[in-house]
Amino acid sequence: MIFMKMVQVGFSYPGQKKPLLNDINFSIHKEGITALTGPNGVGKTTLSKLMVGILAPSTGHITLKGQNMSSMALAQIGRLVGYVFQNPEKQLFCPTVSEEIGFGLQNLELPEHEVQRLVKENLAYFELEHLAQNFPLQLSEGEKRRLAIAAVLVLEPELLVLDEPTTGLDAYRKHLLGECLLKLVASKRGVFMISHDSNFIDRYASRILILENGRLKENGC
Amino acid sequence: MSAVVVNNLSYCYQKGGKHILKDLNFTVEQGQIVAVLGLSGSGKSTLCLCLGGIIPHYFGGEMTGQVLINGQDTAKCKIARLALEVGIVFQDADTQLFSPIVEDEIAFAPENLCLPPEQIRYRVDAVIDMVGINHLRYENTNNLSGGQKHLVAMASVLTLDPSILVLDEVLAQLDAAVKENVIEILLELCRQGKTIIIVEHDLEAVTIADRVLLLEDGMLVNDGPASILQDKELLARHKLLI
Ligand SMILES: Nc1ncnc2c1ncn2[C@@H]1O[C@H](COP(=O)(O)OP(=O)(O)O)[C@@H](O)[C@H]1O
Ligand SMILES: Nc1ncnc2c1ncn2[C@@H]1O[C@H](COP(=O)(O)OP(=O)(O)O)[C@@H](O)[C@H]1O
Ligand SMILES: [Mg+2]
Ligand SMILES: [Mg+2]
Repeated sequence: MIFMKMVQVGFSYPGQKKPLLNDINFSIHKEGITALTGPNGVGKTTLSKLMVGILAPSTGHITLKGQNMSSMALAQIGRLVGYVFQNPEKQLFCPTVSEEIGFGLQNLELPEHEVQRLVKENLAYFELEHLAQNFPLQLSEGEKRRLAIAAVLVLEPELLVLDEPTTGLDAYRKHLLGECLLKLVASKRGVFMISHDSNFIDRYASRILILENGRLKENGC
Repeated sequence: MSAVVVNNLSYCYQKGGKHILKDLNFTVEQGQIVAVLGLSGSGKSTLCLCLGGIIPHYFGGEMTGQVLINGQDTAKCKIARLALEVGIVFQDADTQLFSPIVEDEIAFAPENLCLPPEQIRYRVDAVIDMVGINHLRYENTNNLSGGQKHLVAMASVLTLDPSILVLDEVLAQLDAAVKENVIEILLELCRQGKTIIIVEHDLEAVTIADRVLLLEDGMLVNDGPASILQDKELLARHKLLI
C-alpha cells in the first residue's frame, strides 16, 4: 500500500521568483530506506518539511494513507510521521535528556513504568545514559543529534523522516544509527533520510532519489 | 614561534564537575594541517573553544593550563585580538550567524575593525568569490540551508585573514562538489602559510592533514603523522572505523 504520495507538488517561498520545487511526483511505501540527496540549497529540507506538514505545497497535493494532508492536523500527521530536524537543537526543549525521550511517550498515555522502560532502553542504545540528567542544549552536537533521533524513534512512527542524520556522528554512532534504522524497516516501518553521506547511503539505502534543479530523479539501485 | 602551543590544558564546564579536557599537551607549527579525530562527546568542540579563547573568556567553569596562539596566552589576551589570529567555523553555524543578510554578515568583522570601505569591499568580494557563494550574497541568513550556513560562516571568518583556521565538522553537511572546493581552499591557504586545524569524522576528507590528533574522553591518546589514517587496527580500536 502507498503510504505517502506527492502529486505534482510545487513549492516556492514567499517572494521567490522561480519555484524551488517543481512538479514533484513520488510515492513512499513503508519498506526499506529511501535516501534523498542533491546539492546544497536545492530544496531537500524544504521537501522534507512538506512531507511532515510543516510546510504546505504551493501547487499539487500530498496524501498520507490516502487522505489529503491539507485536511489533517499537524498532531495527526505527527502520530504517523516522525521528523528529525537538520539542526537537532530545534526540537530539544526539555530540562533533562531523560525527559526529552519520555516527553512524547507521556503524551501517548502509556503507563509510567512502560515509559520509564522505553526511556532507559533508548538511553542505553544511544549511549546517553551518563548524560541522562544533563541539560539537552549543553550537550555536544553529536549527543544532541543522538538525543533528537532517540526522542522521535521511541514513538515508533510509521514513517521516520531524518534530515542529514549522520552529521556530527562518528563512525561508530553512524553504525548504531544504521542498524537501528534497519530494525525499524524489519518491523515494517518506512525510513526516509536526506544525506550527503555517500558511505552511509551506499550501506543502508535501498532506494535513492536525487533532487536537482527543482526536480526529483529516481536512481535505480 | 609555534602557531599553537597547548600546555597541560584541562577544562570542566562546571567548577568541580567532570573534566572534559584532561591535561592536553601538543604543539602545532605554522603551515601545518592538523586533523582532530575522536568520538562525539570526546571534547573536540570544547578544544576548539579553547583555541579561540572563548574558553575561558565566555564560559565559566574551570580551565587550567595554558593555550598560546602565536605566542600569546589566550587567557590574558582580548578575544577581539585573538579573532584576528584564529578563525573558527563552529559546528553549529546557527550560533555563528547573526546578520539578516549574507553580505552584511561577511562584512561585519572587517567593518568592526574600521577598515577603509574600499578595503572592506575588496575583502568581501574576494572571499565570496573564493568560497563560491556569490549566488547567496543577498539572501537572508536565516533561510539558508545547513551546508550554505557553514559556507557563509567560513567566508565571514576568512575576511579577517586569520593565520590559524579551525573548522569544527563543517564538511559533513556539504555536498560532494562543494566539499571538494573547500578542501582546495584549505590547501591553498596552507600554501600561503596558514595553519589549519580540522575536526572531522570523515576519514577520507582529512587525508589532506599532515598530522592527526586523536581525542578520547578528553585525553590526547595519539599524536602522529597522517599515516595513522591507514592504520585500520588502531582506528578500529578507537571506534573510528567500523
Ligand atoms: N523560510 C525560507 N524563506 C525563503 N527561502 C528559504 C527559506 N528556507 C529555505 N529557503 C531557501 O530555499 C533553498 C533551499 O533550502 P533547503 O530546502 O534548506 O535546501 P537543502 O536542504 O537542499 O540544502 C535555499 O536556497 C534557501 O535559501
Ligand atoms: N556548555 C556545556 N555545558 C556542560 N557540558 C558540556 C557543554 N558543552 C559540551 N559539554 C559536554 O562536554 C563533552 C564534550 O563535548 P564536545 O567538546 O562538544 O564534544 P565533541 O565535539 O567531541 O563531540 C560532552 O560530553 C558534552 O556533553
Ligand atoms: Mg537541508
Ligand atoms: Mg563537536
